[in-house]
Amino acid sequence: MKWAMVLGIVVIAVLITLYEWPKMNKNQKKERKAFAVLTMGSVVLAVLLVYFPDMPGPTQLVDSLFKPFGKLLEK
Amino acid sequence: MKLLQNKGKQLLTITLCVIPIFLSGCWDRSEVNDLALIVGMGLDRTDEGDIELSAQIVNPKAMGGQGSSENSQSGGQPVTVKTGTGKTIFDARSKLQEKVSRRLFEGHNRIVVIGKALAERGIRQHIDFFARFPNPRLRANVFFADGKASEILKIMPNFEQDSAEVARELAELRIGMKVTTKDLLQQLASESGATALPRILVDKSDSGEELRVNGTAVFKHNQLIGQIDDALTRGLLWVTDEIETASVTLQPKDAKDYISFKLLRSSTELIPTIKNGKWKMTITITSEDDVVENETKLDMMDPKIIDKLQKQLNKRIRKRIKMVLDDVQEGMEADVFGFADAFHRKYPKQWKKAEDKWDETFPEIEVAIKSDVKIRRPGRSGGPQGVPQDKEATE
Amino acid sequence: MMERGKISGLQMAILLYPTIIATAILLVPAISGKFAEQDMWLSPIWASLAGFLTVYIALLLHNHYPELTIMQYSGKIIGFIPGKIVGLGLLFYLLHTNGVVLREYGEFVVGNFLPSTPIIVITGSMAFVCALSVRGGLEVMARSAQIFIPVFMTLFLVIILLLFPELRPANIFPVMDDGITPSIKGAIVPSQWFTEFFLIIFMLPYLRTKEKRMTWGMLSVVAVMITLVITNLFSLLLFGDITSKFTYPVMSAARYIDVADFLQHVESIVMAIWVVGVFIKVSVFYYAIVIGTAQWLHLSDYRPIVFPIGLLLIIFSTWVAASLQELSHFLSTVWPFYALVFQLVLPVLLLLVAMMRKKAAENDN
Repeated sequence: MKWAMVLGIVVIAVLITLYEWPKMNKNQKKERKAFAVLTMGSVVLAVLLVYFPDMPGPTQLVDSLFKPFGKLLEK
Repeated sequence: MKLLQNKGKQLLTITLCVIPIFLSGCWDRSEVNDLALIVGMGLDRTDEGDIELSAQIVNPKAMGGQGSSENSQSGGQPVTVKTGTGKTIFDARSKLQEKVSRRLFEGHNRIVVIGKALAERGIRQHIDFFARFPNPRLRANVFFADGKASEILKIMPNFEQDSAEVARELAELRIGMKVTTKDLLQQLASESGATALPRILVDKSDSGEELRVNGTAVFKHNQLIGQIDDALTRGLLWVTDEIETASVTLQPKDAKDYISFKLLRSSTELIPTIKNGKWKMTITITSEDDVVENETKLDMMDPKIIDKLQKQLNKRIRKRIKMVLDDVQEGMEADVFGFADAFHRKYPKQWKKAEDKWDETFPEIEVAIKSDVKIRRPGRSGGPQGVPQDKEATE
Repeated sequence: MMERGKISGLQMAILLYPTIIATAILLVPAISGKFAEQDMWLSPIWASLAGFLTVYIALLLHNHYPELTIMQYSGKIIGFIPGKIVGLGLLFYLLHTNGVVLREYGEFVVGNFLPSTPIIVITGSMAFVCALSVRGGLEVMARSAQIFIPVFMTLFLVIILLLFPELRPANIFPVMDDGITPSIKGAIVPSQWFTEFFLIIFMLPYLRTKEKRMTWGMLSVVAVMITLVITNLFSLLLFGDITSKFTYPVMSAARYIDVADFLQHVESIVMAIWVVGVFIKVSVFYYAIVIGTAQWLHLSDYRPIVFPIGLLLIIFSTWVAASLQELSHFLSTVWPFYALVFQLVLPVLLLLVAMMRKKAAENDN
């Protein structure tokens, strides 16, 4: 099942690229770069999450930063 | 290039139009003909300590267009009752599912009947399912069965389609108490620690078996501690301001015939007072009645007679309430009247201190009952019918 | 200018209203109820103070740099590099919060209506629809909100009216049993919903007229406050002490509706309210992330990065928490402070620095 999910993620990324890439003109180099980095980053992250669903995430990061405050509201 | 783009757009539009066809409920698509509609649920305790869940399920064979006479001839009942046993309600439900060819669905469940054996061991732990599982509704009426709950569900009434509907309609009529799952949850979580459920009985007669809501089961701290009969239940309803329909028949002094009144509306106020550390509750009832039947020769238009009748009615109501107070407040020491909430609302500070001692305080509370009945209208006739003008009684 | 669309003050208010209310309406009654019990209906009033403050500060900041959003002027106020760091933090916060919102939506739909549907299908389709609306720009979003909000409010009123016969007014007493403290405690978490008015910062530069900005912003806060007071009051009058026991009190309340054995099973109305509201809420956050990212990277157009960020959004929505319990624990303990830092403390600090700079510049002259 996992390979199917990876495949699905890649297919979605490819579809997005096919849709957006021709719309950007040649002068929009920065946009192309940003687009490529964001898309690739998302795909890598998504695939990682498929294999390691319990990877510590943004919530854990924030949790560790704000823990002392959070204790105040625990009930 | 432009043409290609347009084609792409067309393709996209077509795809978007096709997609919704596959979206009819996603993974949770369920057709009515795959569901077993549960209309009533009963909870019993087996001798081994397990829960026996009985479900009244609408019989799919009996549904649909064919005439009802045909149904009864072929023996197809409108509902069937199936049971399953398990450690929890959901466990029992999955056992029950094994016997039913369609997926069980509680979304239309109307009543929950709790059997005596289960009620004696406490009801709180079992009611959680009805507030947590996605399907059941908090609206379902809860009843107590002095016996097995499954017996109640198995009754096939000859007036309504199924016994669940009979029970629900009886609760709506407010013959006895009306307690929904939500009300029960509130009672269980309330400060008084007492719970009351309407009692449902099977009435056996020559014409068959019928259901009757009769009396109330009283729980204290999640434990069944007693039952009160119909007359006392009426008194309880007066106190909790739940009385809606009532007929009162009384015999005027010095008369041998009766007069009947119909209750139009009534409201009850609980007024708590704390004076010098003494807790007192005043129950004030104001109600309006109409005369609906007059067997006596008294003139219903005479203010003096009406005044006397009103006094007599007040006495009746006070007596009713006194009876239930004697039994429940002093006998069972269970606060099903909502006194705790009334005190908490008016005296939050004193309540805080006395909260833990409520069980001891409650039976000691002095209760005063004030009833103010108004007979508003004489009905369609004024003086007694069929009595010559000069033969009417004056007093 | 990368956003060519312009919106009116009314449209701004209409966009902000569901942005706050959409998730608040389902979650706030239980949270306030936990702390404030029978005073829970007072909590939104205290909480709304945070909303008024946020709008006021956002407007003051805006007055310093009328053409720019926070992504651009944070660099001007505290310097290029610190500005970028603050911007990145803010983007992370917005993405994270939007992931949480999307997840809440998915959890609600799965928990109540479609228990065996994978949550990713539900969040994914919502993210896709929002992506389309964000790609259309602020004006498109504002217009769709203008169509949806009357529907949203009508449905809400229908629920309220149908619940009327079931209410028990006595549940409200004793008012302020333990003084004012419980109701203020119950306001702490909801106040963070009100600081979400911070998103006004991303809309102010694109207003058509500069007048009445303050009025519309404040009106929106008032509308949210009233809606929440009504929601809390109705939950309280219906359920009393057990309100906080329910995951979604409004949902349970709607399921309780039964008018004359005829009008029942109306919980799909709540579902409709929820879908419409969340659509706008996610879109507004999404829009802020996209336009923020584009400005952070100095892009000339924000549209190319809409879909990639949508992908990221879906990932975050599954990543934020393992279960609803974890999510709601996070929401009621850490999140209030987290949100406070980015939505109120950060703008206040920026404003103070900007004011000091202005004063220094005036003194130099």
